Amino acid sequence: MSDFNYLDLCADCVRKAVGLGAEWCDVSAGTGRDISVSVEKSGIKTADAGQGDDVAIRVFVKGGMGYASVSGRDPGDIDEAVRRAVALANEASADPDFKSLPPPQPAPEVDGLFDDRIAGMGVEDVVRITVANLEAGKALEPEANLSGHVGLSVGRGALASSAGVALESRGTDIAADIEALVKRGGDTGYFYEFDFGRQLADCRLDDVAAGAVLGARRFLGARRIKSGRMALVLGPLASYGFLGGVVAAANAESIQRGRSYLCGKVDEIIASPVLTVIDNGLVPRGVRSGAHDGEGTRRRPLTVIDRGRLVSLLHNSYTAGKACTESTGHGTHSGGISPTNLRPALGARTASEILREVTEGIYLESGELRADPASGDISASIDFGFLIRNGELVHPVESAMIGGNIFDLLERLDAVSSDAREEPGVLMPTLRIQDVQIAGAE
Amino acid sequence: MEDLARYLCELAKRRGASFADTRVLHRRSESVLVQDGRADKLAAYTDRGVGIRVLVGRCWGFASADSLERSRGEKCVDDAISLARASQDFVSDPAMIAEVAPTVAEDLRSPEVAAGEMPVKEKISRLLEYERLGRALGGDAVVNSIVSYSEGTREEVLANTAGTLVRTAGARAVVTCLFVASDGKILQRGTEHRGILGGPELLRQVNPEAFSVVAARKALALLKARPAPAGRFTVIFHPSITGLLVHEALGHNAEADAVWAGQSILEGRLGDSLAPETVSIYDDSTVPGAFGSYAYDSEGTPGRRRPIIEKGRLVGFLHSLETAAKFKAQPTGSGRAESYDCRPIVRMSNTFMERGTVPLEEMLRGVERGIYLLDGHWGYVFVQKGQFICHAGQARMIERGQLGDALRDVSISSMTLDTLKNIDAVGSDFEMKMPGMCGKEGQSAPTDCGGPHVRVGDVVVGGHAEE
Repeated sequence: MSDFNYLDLCADCVRKAVGLGAEWCDVSAGTGRDISVSVEKSGIKTADAGQGDDVAIRVFVKGGMGYASVSGRDPGDIDEAVRRAVALANEASADPDFKSLPPPQPAPEVDGLFDDRIAGMGVEDVVRITVANLEAGKALEPEANLSGHVGLSVGRGALASSAGVALESRGTDIAADIEALVKRGGDTGYFYEFDFGRQLADCRLDDVAAGAVLGARRFLGARRIKSGRMALVLGPLASYGFLGGVVAAANAESIQRGRSYLCGKVDEIIASPVLTVIDNGLVPRGVRSGAHDGEGTRRRPLTVIDRGRLVSLLHNSYTAGKACTESTGHGTHSGGISPTNLRPALGARTASEILREVTEGIYLESGELRADPASGDISASIDFGFLIRNGELVHPVESAMIGGNIFDLLERLDAVSSDAREEPGVLMPTLRIQDVQIAGAE
Repeated sequence: MEDLARYLCELAKRRGASFADTRVLHRRSESVLVQDGRADKLAAYTDRGVGIRVLVGRCWGFASADSLERSRGEKCVDDAISLARASQDFVSDPAMIAEVAPTVAEDLRSPEVAAGEMPVKEKISRLLEYERLGRALGGDAVVNSIVSYSEGTREEVLANTAGTLVRTAGARAVVTCLFVASDGKILQRGTEHRGILGGPELLRQVNPEAFSVVAARKALALLKARPAPAGRFTVIFHPSITGLLVHEALGHNAEADAVWAGQSILEGRLGDSLAPETVSIYDDSTVPGAFGSYAYDSEGTPGRRRPIIEKGRLVGFLHSLETAAKFKAQPTGSGRAESYDCRPIVRMSNTFMERGTVPLEEMLRGVERGIYLLDGHWGYVFVQKGQFICHAGQARMIERGQLGDALRDVSISSMTLDTLKNIDAVGSDFEMKMPGMCGKEGQSAPTDCGGPHVRVGDVVVGGHAEE
């Protein structure tokens, strides 16, 4: 990767934008390269590589926002993008709710976001990981149909603003995701597995395909079930999606605009007291970690739900200014708000113990259980689920759905496991929700 | 752009590729977002670059760069060849490419109103008017409204080592609106979206009464709707839901890359009867003005009408140059790439069911107790399992052949092959107004989908109340 100075580029763009009339401006720029190997029919299908630079300019005039981004580092293109961002900001409506961009803020270093080993890897290394996966998967199930990707990315960038922010960062990622399809006669079992990290040492990339094959075997023999009200146990992957949706709904802009089911719920009880969720963008080696957010605000751990009470919203600089509070460090450079690493507080009993107490229910291994962002209603498919009877997983289910409202589900949440799947930065426990409406096809 | 594309293909051939194609692309887009009476966010995006795909031995290699400099392109050629060589010993299914006559053509289309011809001020003004009229309908019950518009132009040159050289230019524009209404207890959303092959003329074509006012009316109506029941029902699909069915449930399964990879439930089913004779389903990238239309795909193959199911029988798949070679079939012009940094993969364009003969009223008469699903929002599919999910923004109970209570937030889940078999009436109407971006393997492609009303037995509805 070249030693080009992106911070100087950002600062130069900020100066030009201010010279053209920007009242506030921030510019992010960076470069990245990636390698990806694709798997199809249990062999390598293609190997891809890309390299590119991006520059994004955000300008405010009377609070109105103009934004322009350009790929590459062509000086003419970048100058044009600066002019365009300023022109668009002048066309935007004045917005008295915009107060300012964040000032420079000291922030703790977050360890482990860049790994020289990953940065030094080439396509041969990615191919080696891919082949190790294929061999392990096929050793378990020679006829398994494996597909997916193994890839890495290496990037660095900078952020500068008219408020004095001048930051540089760099990062690495490596990931494998493999899907396995196992057939027995007319029956099909399908599942996926993945692993990822900012550091090679945090991953067990060679084991992903084997995990997918074992998962696919478990989903052989899916059967229809009867409709009814029963317990719903969310395995680690399902609980991550479920809680991620709730935390995303705590987006301060959605609430200030009146479009979130969490409107009017701050400081209210929204869930059972067993639920505490912390968003922490400072976890060392965390996949969504960083010292600063996309606007230069320092990140900090934020308790979003405390023993069932919604105690904090996720803010960027705009929503924080509007609410006369401090940004929580969840801003994106394009003006959005995004959660970081979710770490629910763990409970007292293991996932096995929680499952064992269920007389009849559904175990959702993975799948979308997201509420409508306005109404909070849920009408979701059980994509990867099992019927539970007397504490045991009996068989996978097909053509079944979950119905309800997010607040009903959160209120009936009665257990968070003491053990959890841990991925870099993220904790994924098992959750149990009582008395949930299940629609079946039997 | 042409010279660079041709040069890089020749270079790839000299360096050992048995086949190579190069796409040189330049995209520009602009968006305007109006929210709660203000032009909130205005944005512009530009990207350009080159992507090179090579076939070396048994494997593909692909490399891209965000520059049109010759030296960067040359490095891409070297990288792509190295990538393929590093991987070729581990290929289980050798790559191949259909040998077809080269295409030398251009299709340069300008929108009726060029991007620069309509000032940003006029766009803002039109969006504010959409918003104002929607809000006027709802009054204080509307708590949030967003109207957004985006337009994009795309210039692309494709060359390959077989002699194909295709130059295309075109534009697409989309306008969407969202109204959130509250009765003090609950919130509900209503949305509408329109998209065309074209530019800012879209904002002169879209009538607020049929757009933002409709979306606001939906949000208000949903405040009075009750949660859907749960269980198995006979359902009638509005054309927007039929569109989701043919796109998600069938179309993705008919993409030949999924079939070849053993990932589709349609593997080995060509020629089989999968639906009643009243059902015919096509993918067609030549529908004039439709959002998913194009003249040439990203491999230079002309777009065409592609029969998937005719009179209930599975008759064809969607093919790229590679899948056509593997199936010994004709390419169908379905190899599409989102940008220069993406490989072409098999994609749909405009996918629809042909109209039948049954009027909606007659369909309704045949339902003792069921659900009418309308306002298709989204869907997804697991092609491997043949399971799909569709979400309807609105629904109505059907009781003794009559439309009854309004229902809200209804999704259905079913198995594709069961659903096709269970279609027992195909409507005499037709609508294709679902312009959107379809995602696959990390790439987005503009598509549309639709069809007539259809009636389907035995579908699982995910609601709140047990039936």
